[in-house]
Amino acid sequence: MNCEETKLLLAEYWSESLGDEQELAFETHIAQCDACRSEAERLGAMWKSLALIPGSSKDFEPGPGMRTRFYETLGAYRQGLESAPRRGFRERILALWPKQPAWQMAAGFALLVMGVGIGYAVRPELQGRWEAPNSELAQLRGEVSGMRQMVALSLMQQQSAGERLRGVSYAVQAPATDTQVLSALLTTVNQDDSVGVRLYAVDALHKFGASPVTREAVVQSIRKQQTPLVQIALIDLLVDWKDKSAAPELAALASNESIDSAVRQHAKWAIGKLQQ
Amino acid sequence: MNGTDNALMAQVSNGEVAKLAVLFERHHRPLFRYFVSMNRNRELSEDLVQDVFFRMLRYRASYDPAQSFTAWMYQIARNASLDQAQKRKAEVVGIDEREDRRMEPVSSAPGPEESAAKSQDLALLRRALDRLPADKRELLVLSRFQNIRYEQIAEILGCEVGTVKVRVFRAMRALEQAYLAVTEEGRPDMNRDAANGN
Repeated sequence: MNCEETKLLLAEYWSESLGDEQELAFETHIAQCDACRSEAERLGAMWKSLALIPGSSKDFEPGPGMRTRFYETLGAYRQGLESAPRRGFRERILALWPKQPAWQMAAGFALLVMGVGIGYAVRPELQGRWEAPNSELAQLRGEVSGMRQMVALSLMQQQSAGERLRGVSYAVQAPATDTQVLSALLTTVNQDDSVGVRLYAVDALHKFGASPVTREAVVQSIRKQQTPLVQIALIDLLVDWKDKSAAPELAALASNESIDSAVRQHAKWAIGKLQQ
Repeated sequence: MNGTDNALMAQVSNGEVAKLAVLFERHHRPLFRYFVSMNRNRELSEDLVQDVFFRMLRYRASYDPAQSFTAWMYQIARNASLDQAQKRKAEVVGIDEREDRRMEPVSSAPGPEESAAKSQDLALLRRALDRLPADKRELLVLSRFQNIRYEQIAEILGCEVGTVKVRVFRAMRALEQAYLAVTEEGRPDMNRDAANGN
């Protein structure tokens, strides 16, 4: 390490954020170089003193009026929000439009493909030939479906809960045979931070129907979930699927003491419902 | 903690504005100290803290949860500070000596002489810091007073982390020069006081 490189590390040295290797190389250099050692020590002492000067002290507090003013402002803002007129249909439709340019482009492209597809389908020369196989139309439908799948899968990975909700709403439109979307929904149900998103994903699972794989995944999920609301929604899903073969799994849940009592009761109710 | 801050602000952004109270309780003190360190004016700093939290409400829809809440907050704080400075047609507010005295921390030094010398050194260092250009002073306030990591400072300032580290080093060098200058300026007074027998 030379003098120039040492200077680049000084800020991290003072804030004690150097890695072990860097610190060793740094200290080896300053042990041998008087100029660098002197500068590191002089500026280092000043760095320590900075934390002691008036104004940096943690004893320095704002006045009590500041908190009062903040809560008054917040209260007034909330009141203003509650009394504001509800958004009209147009605003609500506009609010669905994605905010990020990448999604705007994806949505724009999807709309374009859909527009072309619809235009192609309703052109006059096709009238009366609906039953005839049309490979181009099928291809366009495939592209729209693929685009929807891509948007759904990508949105469900987003940080914002709002974006993920939108992703789930795209997933609802995916074909029931789309295993990638099904898998993404199950992941959302199991891992999403937001209870709202998880519940919405449970609703979206309805259309995929019961199969040994989905049933097992749902039962596993009930065991993993920490929120009774989601556990109950998953039990309702098994009931809605009218999957009688889920009864033994539900019985196991009903007798599992580690699960919330409301959930166990709901599992018992579900067993009765499936036996009807 | 930052993850939780981000999640809370995302909730505020989605309409749960009452959650801003939690963020206020967590951050209003460090934010106040940041403003005081920059402008040396207590009343103005309290107004600026109010302004920052009001701007968070007003621009809550623009918050991107992928961004660090702390970095976003300090970006708003810098904008609020700049707007205020433009209104007052002065970037740096003058040093108020009475404020300096009011902001003296309780010293734990062992003896009165040592305590007085240390206090004088710190006052000189404070004066040197006030003489730095605003961008250098801000870097030292963020990194040293606010203990914000260099990665987050880079996000606040919109530059690379390496650039922040180099700038911190340069700011420390500039502070040393300013400190030497204020110490030199203090000497004639001390010599004159000594000659007058004070």
